[in-house]
Amino acid sequence: MRAGTISNRVRLLRFQHGEMTQAELGKRIGVTRQTVAAIEAGKYSPSLEAAFRIAAVFHVPLDEVFQWQAEPGD
Amino acid sequence: MSYREKVAWLSLLAMVVAFGPYFAIVATAPPDDAMPNLRQLWLFAVAVAVQVAILLAGHAVFRLRTPEDAREPADERDLAIERRSVSIAYGTLIAGVIMVAIIMPFYAGGWAIVNGAIFAIVLAELVSHGVAVVAYRRQS
Repeated sequence: MRAGTISNRVRLLRFQHGEMTQAELGKRIGVTRQTVAAIEAGKYSPSLEAAFRIAAVFHVPLDEVFQWQAEPGD
Repeated sequence: MSYREKVAWLSLLAMVVAFGPYFAIVATAPPDDAMPNLRQLWLFAVAVAVQVAILLAGHAVFRLRTPEDAREPADERDLAIERRSVSIAYGTLIAGVIMVAIIMPFYAGGWAIVNGAIFAIVLAELVSHGVAVVAYRRQS
């Protein structure tokens, strides 16, 4: 299995969408504010469905929200 | 702190407060094997009553303070944490059952086995709530 990390731009996208709160984003994708905070901090990787919902809220493709960074050498 | 993290802390606290003294008493003054041992049954009933009282009071306080959070269903992260904690606790419980049902009968009997079984259940519950609390604290 390839090693790597998932980064995201959720915080930036919230800022660009009128400083949308974590609670509001969570409500729109069906998770708690704490889960949005965990996603932003890179501590929790959301399900594919939740990831698509986040992208849909911000009207951007999925890869503008989440990026996969493979570790060097992999 | 999310509602479900508070519930995990509450469950952990209730288990420690109710069964900590129970096992401290059992360890320092082991019950004799007379059946039924009313003192031992009474002690167990008190531990269960304390646990239920703490859980009921805690849930009532949480529901009064944040009724919206209490009504929200578990989200995918809550369910992932629950799956992980139950899975690890299941391993603990199986190890405890093997100890109590297969190994202990060779050297113990009566209330020692009963308390061994209760301890296995309590330990599995502690592991379950403990893993959940750690997962919520680490945001994972």
